[in-house]
Amino acid sequence: MTDDGIPIESGDLPGGAEAAAAEYVLGLLPEDERVAFERQIGSDADLEQDVAAWAEYFARFTDPVEEVPPPPQVLRRIESALFAETKVPFWRHLLPYLLGAVAAAALAAVVVMTGLIGPGQQPHLYADLVDDDRGLVLLAHWAPDSETFMVRRDDGTVPQDVSYQIWVIPDSGDGAAPVSVGLITQDQLTEIPVPDALIPIMTGGAVVAISEEPLGGSPTGAPTGPVLAVGALDVRE
Amino acid sequence: MTPQEEIEALIARVAMGDRRAFRLLYNRTGPKLFGVALRVLKQDALAEEVLQEVFLRIWNRAGQYRANGYSPMTWLITVTRNAAIDRLRRARSGGEVAPVEEADLLADPAPGPEAQTIANEEARRLHMCLRELPPDRAAMVRGAYLDGLTYAEIAAASDTKLNTVRTWLRRSLMQLRECLSR
Repeated sequence: MTDDGIPIESGDLPGGAEAAAAEYVLGLLPEDERVAFERQIGSDADLEQDVAAWAEYFARFTDPVEEVPPPPQVLRRIESALFAETKVPFWRHLLPYLLGAVAAAALAAVVVMTGLIGPGQQPHLYADLVDDDRGLVLLAHWAPDSETFMVRRDDGTVPQDVSYQIWVIPDSGDGAAPVSVGLITQDQLTEIPVPDALIPIMTGGAVVAISEEPLGGSPTGAPTGPVLAVGALDVRE
Repeated sequence: MTPQEEIEALIARVAMGDRRAFRLLYNRTGPKLFGVALRVLKQDALAEEVLQEVFLRIWNRAGQYRANGYSPMTWLITVTRNAAIDRLRRARSGGEVAPVEEADLLADPAPGPEAQTIANEEARRLHMCLRELPPDRAAMVRGAYLDGLTYAEIAAASDTKLNTVRTWLRRSLMQLRECLSR
């Protein structure tokens, strides 16, 4: 809007989309133009680079800003907002016992009738891993009987110039570090024999993640590149 | 690993839900980001609120930090600066902080001699090119970034038509772009 109430098109102003990129980073674009501009950068790689370049330059305005340690309650508030256990109504606590009793009885009956399920037999676990941007559709599969971790590629391709690395984050509840399982191969099915040391982390609730790394995998032992997809291991019917 | 690669690796681990990496990233970058939020908002309570919001966003969006061309610190600073400016504008319109006065437009002119001792190449170029602009325009660019000035505020405080202010500033931004790409 102008001061006389007539909307102005940035196209009529000097600089066109290139000036708008700087205005966007400075937060000067009027709301309607900002929305239109964001739509435009999605399909214009040059413009996206312009925005990134301005962001890089203007961020230098903060170079002289001194570090100030935030008060300790800020981290506490952040972590409790993100990681606090959700409150469960008290009667819900009874539910697992009730269901567990039913399931145990049913399972006992199956074992008795078929004799197929031995004690200690572990379930197969699966995780869907999808990256819409790259059109990548993967299914991760942990097969405990053969101690093999598999990734089936149902859609998308693995580029020749980078590696897609598979990570498992143990379900230890304390935010353990990701552990590398291996790299996705060019084959449709990647099969990785899992060393004994990693078998204990292959549990339901453990998280599988795929990151893009330099050829040959992360040089550091921890993921360094963009994370393409994340999914939790779970049993399937 | 360079400090930049270390922060990038922490962001990648955060994207996978690694809580320890999240805390490391907070300890590593929180003081700078809190400094940035304080610089924009100038009030502890508001800056704390923004820092909290920023780290919730980092946890939820670390996976979107991709090859968008931003260096990791620039991404974190941009997220923080944008959240702080949004909060500042809400505070201004709600009367929590003082509105912009003409004096604010002249405050913080582009840095002078100390710019020559800046080690960072991009910072040096930015300050050098800002000095080629008329001083009031350079102050507007800086004021928009660090103090969230809007065209309407600049126009009202300087008693100039909004469209005129915008035309001037866009010309200056193009001049700046030309100088930076030299």
